[in-house]
Amino acid sequence: MLALLGATTLMLVAGRWVLPAASGEANLKPENVEIHIIDDNFFLKWNSSSESVRNVTFSADYQILGTDNWKKLPGCQNTASTKCNFSSVELKNVFEKIELRIRAEEGNNTSIWYEVEPFVPFLEAQIGPPDVHLEAEDKAIILSISPPGTEDSIMWATDRLNFRYSVVIWKNSSSLEERTETVYPEDKIYKLSPEITYCLKVKAELPLQSRVGYYSPVYCINTTERRNVPSPENIQINADNQVCVLKWDYPYENTTFRAQWLRAFFKKIPGKHSDKWKQILNCENVTTTRCVFPRDAFPNGIYYVRVQASNGNGTSFWSEEKKFYIEMKTVIFPPVISLKSITDDSLHVSVGASEESENMSVNQLYPLIYEVIFWENTSNAERKVLEKRTEFTFLDLKPLTVYCVKARALIENDRRNKSSSFSDTVCEKTKPGDTSKTWLKAGICTALFSLPVVIYVVRLFLRGVNYVFFPSSKPPSSVDEYFSDQPLKNLLLSTSEEQTERCFIIENASIITEIEETNEIDEVHKKYNSQTSQDSGNYSNEDENSGSKISEEFLQQDSV
Amino acid sequence: MTYWCLFQMVLLLCFSTTALSRNYSLLRFQQRRSVVVCQKLLRQLPSTPQHCLEVRMDFQVPEEMKQAQQFQEEDAILVIYEMLQQIFGILTRDFSSTGWSETVIEDLLVELQRQMDHLEPIQKEIMQRKNFTTGDMAILHLKKYYFNLGQYLKSMEYNSCAWTVMRVQMLMNFSFLKSLTGYLHD
Repeated sequence: MLALLGATTLMLVAGRWVLPAASGEANLKPENVEIHIIDDNFFLKWNSSSESVRNVTFSADYQILGTDNWKKLPGCQNTASTKCNFSSVELKNVFEKIELRIRAEEGNNTSIWYEVEPFVPFLEAQIGPPDVHLEAEDKAIILSISPPGTEDSIMWATDRLNFRYSVVIWKNSSSLEERTETVYPEDKIYKLSPEITYCLKVKAELPLQSRVGYYSPVYCINTTERRNVPSPENIQINADNQVCVLKWDYPYENTTFRAQWLRAFFKKIPGKHSDKWKQILNCENVTTTRCVFPRDAFPNGIYYVRVQASNGNGTSFWSEEKKFYIEMKTVIFPPVISLKSITDDSLHVSVGASEESENMSVNQLYPLIYEVIFWENTSNAERKVLEKRTEFTFLDLKPLTVYCVKARALIENDRRNKSSSFSDTVCEKTKPGDTSKTWLKAGICTALFSLPVVIYVVRLFLRGVNYVFFPSSKPPSSVDEYFSDQPLKNLLLSTSEEQTERCFIIENASIITEIEETNEIDEVHKKYNSQTSQDSGNYSNEDENSGSKISEEFLQQDSV
Repeated sequence: MTYWCLFQMVLLLCFSTTALSRNYSLLRFQQRRSVVVCQKLLRQLPSTPQHCLEVRMDFQVPEEMKQAQQFQEEDAILVIYEMLQQIFGILTRDFSSTGWSETVIEDLLVELQRQMDHLEPIQKEIMQRKNFTTGDMAILHLKKYYFNLGQYLKSMEYNSCAWTVMRVQMLMNFSFLKSLTGYLHD
């Protein structure tokens, strides 16, 4: 049976080899089929298994995984080359798994289908180069970046606003001085020199999916000559409950300034939003390098602010855009710390919101970072750490040591450096070290192993108790050895049994013996009588009388 | 023999370590407040002609959104972040046909942006630990759903009827977000 099976398999395998040869290489299979997707462009590439120039064409089908409805892949029907572009395929969406298959054809002969591993287009797609427009100022370059793919892109429709752009910029004269910056779609690169040719290239990234795209081509642009009216610098905002004070630096007198603000989220949206910048009232045509405006003018939120200077000679370019958090009452409550010892060399810190901050209205919440002070209880050496997370661990600590922690909350990226007061100090001891741990483990192991020993000892003890108080009827083994004879053994052993045939009455021992003797005498007499049967007539009476006389005598003796 | 097994079991119970869970109390608190604010803002937007809602659309709402209880903390954070991102994306589109207040929409966007800023460092850390390319199905399903919403808006040329439907969808999304924040426990 097995041999038959083996033979059939051999034949089938051989048949597969033989058949293509027999049909004269008509059924060429496509090999190494690969899918390349860049933005909304879908490519299929493969190798032909034959190098000869023949009328071999290829066709491909596709279907959604799970359905059973193969459709023709547009752009990949009866193609003679070894690649095709099926971008015109109308996929309902790119988040479903697709199956592809391709085969070779020559005349009426077709090869078997080569099935490609099912894939999700969105996960396979590579990020293409973004489109970049540049505008030059004297010390900055304005970037206008369009996301990869077209406006109608299906691939990136859900992620258009999530792209971040990485720009590499260098001076054309010396490519050594490279600078890389991460920018928003509408952003500026500052700190450049006037009248220099700068070159740059941009790539798009989806940082939260760890995906990086291709670089755009290199673009070069000349920065303009230095403008007569410089831009204001070093913008700062200080806020208290009533007013906000905006300050900046400017080298010259007799200048008027105006300030504008923009809601921060607009930076994420591609496309020009120059119309979204709004004038800060009270900061229009001011002649000092500061302006004051009421807090109420601004709803709580995150903003960008920029300032422009103008004098008789013209207007400056806009200053650097600074990000600010503007809140009503910038009261930051101290956080609540809890310490937990996990292992002998680490402590886990949890930062929580205090009760008062839980009761605060929601508009007063903003991203906080924590300044954590950490020290060993016995020493005064303090370690200061800035943490954005609310859970973190201190490592490389000493076992069985008390460490203390206190922290205060700060507003992230805030120029004011506004912070809460310090939280209460919390101290915790680290767990015992490895040596103690191993002693502990050793202790447990000995306890484990000693348990059966203990059980055994207890059993022995119980056995001893049984032996003493409830002895068994078996004799010691030495006795056994000594007496090997069975009946004698019975004699000694069965003390309770009575041998009735050997039980004598001691009192009448003498009479009994005498009686025994008389009996013997009688027997003798009887013998005599029997022997002297001839004389029996004469002596019989005398014998009888003598016997009885003797007995009477004795009896009389006894009674005396 | 049974005694021996029992002893082992007892030992195992006594010395099993309890798993450490992250403390997300601050985050949960911020999330919940944020969702409440967003819901209030959404309700300020007038719901235009009711007949627009009579047309049943199949946006392929993900199964995960219908049953919230299957999420672990880390997955919940990824899902929350994705949803905030996508709702933000929808609200940046052209709603001029609705006559809705720009201020209200901008307040919504500000709130969503603020929440995403809070979540971003945690989201980054989780993504670095997980391997996204293994295809986090929940995220893919969400993207498909929001893609369908976007395509619907586009096909209806951003008219007020389409936006009314969007508003209903977003209210449902925020309810789901609220339940998700319950998974960020202490």
